[in-house]
Amino acid sequence: MPDFDVLKVAMKGGKVADVRRLVEGLLAEGVAAQEILNNGLLEAMGEVGQRFKRNEVFVPEVLVAARAMKAGTELLKPHLIQAGVQAVATAVMGTVKGDLHDIGKNLVIMMLEGAGFAVVDAGVDVAPEKFVALAQEHNAKIVGLSALLTTTMPSMKGVVEAIRTAGVPAKVMIGGAPVTQAYCDAIGADGYSPDAASAAELAKSLIA
Amino acid sequence: MTGKEILFAALRNGLTPRPAWVPFVGVHGGRLVGVKASEYLRSADRMVEGLTQAVARYRPDGLPVMFDLQLEAEAMGCGLAWADETPPAVKTHPLEGGGSLAALPPFDLGAGRLPLAFEVTRRMKAQVGAEVGLYGLICGPFTLAMHLMGNDLFMQMYDHPDYVKAVVGYCASIGCKMAQAYLEAGADVVAVVDPMTSQISPEHFVEFVTPYVDQIFGAVRERGRFSSLFVCGDASRNLSEMARTACDNLSIDENIPLGLLRDTSRTTGKSFGGNLKLTAVLLFGDEDDSRLDAIRCIDVAGSAGFILAPGCDLPYGVPPQNLEAVAEMVHDGYRREVCKRTIIVKQAAAAVCDLPERYDALAHVQVDVITLDSASCAPCQYMMDAVHRAVAATGGPVVVKEHRIATREGLAAMQRLGVRNLPTICIDGEVAFVSLIPDLRTLVARLEAAVSRKGAQR
Repeated sequence: MPDFDVLKVAMKGGKVADVRRLVEGLLAEGVAAQEILNNGLLEAMGEVGQRFKRNEVFVPEVLVAARAMKAGTELLKPHLIQAGVQAVATAVMGTVKGDLHDIGKNLVIMMLEGAGFAVVDAGVDVAPEKFVALAQEHNAKIVGLSALLTTTMPSMKGVVEAIRTAGVPAKVMIGGAPVTQAYCDAIGADGYSPDAASAAELAKSLIA
Repeated sequence: MTGKEILFAALRNGLTPRPAWVPFVGVHGGRLVGVKASEYLRSADRMVEGLTQAVARYRPDGLPVMFDLQLEAEAMGCGLAWADETPPAVKTHPLEGGGSLAALPPFDLGAGRLPLAFEVTRRMKAQVGAEVGLYGLICGPFTLAMHLMGNDLFMQMYDHPDYVKAVVGYCASIGCKMAQAYLEAGADVVAVVDPMTSQISPEHFVEFVTPYVDQIFGAVRERGRFSSLFVCGDASRNLSEMARTACDNLSIDENIPLGLLRDTSRTTGKSFGGNLKLTAVLLFGDEDDSRLDAIRCIDVAGSAGFILAPGCDLPYGVPPQNLEAVAEMVHDGYRREVCKRTIIVKQAAAAVCDLPERYDALAHVQVDVITLDSASCAPCQYMMDAVHRAVAATGGPVVVKEHRIATREGLAAMQRLGVRNLPTICIDGEVAFVSLIPDLRTLVARLEAAVSRKGAQR
C-alpha cells in the first residue's frame, strides 16, 4: 500500500515542487495514476475544503493548495487519459451578468476540480444565453452561478429560466455573499451553497 | 447633546444617552435624488444633494461623504466598470502578473474623482458640520493592493511576501495622504475600509495588515481626530487582531455576532458598531423588520461606545422608509419600548411557531427555551448550557428546543407561551424560570418532577 500521507501534507501546504517530485516518485513505483489522484490529491483537497468551511484556513491557503494539486494532476493527466479515466461530470461556472467579482467563483472551481469534476470556466459578467450555450456544448450536468452583489443577484433568475426554457438537462446551483437558500427556492434553482467546500458536496449530491 | 457630540462620545467609548447612528449612505444617495450610481458618484452636486436628503430623512449623527472603495484605485490607473445601482468595480489591475511599483503613476490627490470626495466633504462641513460628524472613507491598504494586483495578491503572499508588503506599504502611504486631505477638508472621522482582510488568517492579518493600517490610524490620531476600521464579511477569526490595531472604532457587518464584537472591542477599549442586516432586513424587509433589527442591535450593544450602522455600504434600492424607521428607534426611546411589544405581537400573530398543539399528548417532557439568540447573547448561552447539563443529568425522556426571537418562529413561540423576559425556560408549556439561570439541582428536580407527572398520566 503506497504511503500518500507525505504527498497530502505537501499538497495541503501548497508545495508545488514537492508535489511534483512525490507524484513522479509514486508513478515510477508503478502506483496507478487514478490511485494517486483519488487517495492523494483529491483527498488532500477535500481536507483543505473542509478546513476552509470550518474557518481554519483561508483563501490564500486554498489557492496555493489548489495550485499544488494542479501541478500534480498535470503529471497524472497523460496516464489518466491512457487508462480511460473520466471526470465525474462537467460543470459550467461563471459570475452572472453585471458581476465582475470572481474570487468566490474561482474557489468553487478549485473545489469542484478537487472533487473530480471537469470545469468549464465561463468567466465573469456572463449572459444567460452564454451559460446555455456552454452547458449544451459541453454536455454539462451542473451550471454554477455566482454573484457578490445584491444588485446582480436577480440575474440568477434569468439564467435559471433560460436553462429551463432551452431544455438543458443541467442542475443549476447558486452561491455568493447575498444569496440565500430562500432566494434559491424562490427562483427555482436546484441548490444553494454557502461556501466553496459545500459547493463541491452539493454538486456531487445534485448529480447522484 | 447634539448628534455629533453623541457620536464623538460613542467614538471615545463613553456612555451615550441614546445610540449614535451612522447610516452608510453611498450609492443609496443616488436613489434619494433619483439618479443612477454612475451619475451620483461622478457629481459633487448630486452627492451633496443626496447627503442633504439623508440628513433630513434619516436624522443621522454621522455620515460618510463618499462610499466608493475604487476611488484611489481609479486614480492609480485601474480601469473601472460602472453600473446603475452599485459602486463601480475594478476591472483592470496594473500590477497583475507582478509589475513594478515604479511603473505606477505617482499618486496625485487631484487625479480621477478624488477631488470630488474632498469637495463634498468641504460643502457638507459648511452645511451640516456643526451637527453631523463626517466620515472620510479610505480604501484599506490590503484591499487597494488587491485592486492593483488582482487575485494574484493571495498567491503572492506565499510566493513573494516582500513584494506584497511593498505594495501594501505603498497603499498605506496613499491612505495617509488621503486621510490628511479628508481631515483638511473637514472630516471628523477617517474610516479605513478593508473588506478583503476578511479572507485571510489572523497570522496573515498581523503580517500584511496591522502595521500598514496602523500607519494611517497613527496619522489620524496625531491630528486629534477619530479613526475607524470597517471590515465586511465574516471576519470573526480576525476580530481580536482588528481590536489590537490603533483605531478608535471597529465596524462590522451582520456576519459577526454583535455580542462577540462588543466583548472583543472592550478588551482593548475600542468603540464598535455596524451589524444592521443589510439585505435580509433593510433591503428586502419592511419597516417593522427594520425597527426590530435596530432594537436587537441596541439591546445587545448596551449604552457605551456603540454606533448603530448598517454592516456596509447601503444598497441603492433600500426603501428610505426602512431607514426612517431605524432613525425613529434611535431618537425615540419610548417608541422603541412600545415597538418591542407591538411589533412582536403583530409579527407573532402572522408566524407559525414550532410548539406542540398539546403538551400532555407528548410522550416526552418538552423544554422550550426562549432566547435572544444563544450564539450572540451570553445569558442565553449560559441558560442553554444549564438546560443541556440538567437534561443530561435527568432520567427519562426530555426534549429541548431553543426559540430565538431573532426569528419570527421564535417570536411566535414567545407570544404563545406568554413569555415576557429573555431568556426564559418553559417546561411542558409552562413558564418555569425567567431571566435567572437556575442551579443544576433545582432544574434537575423540576425536570424529574415533570417526567414523573408524564409517567403518571400514561
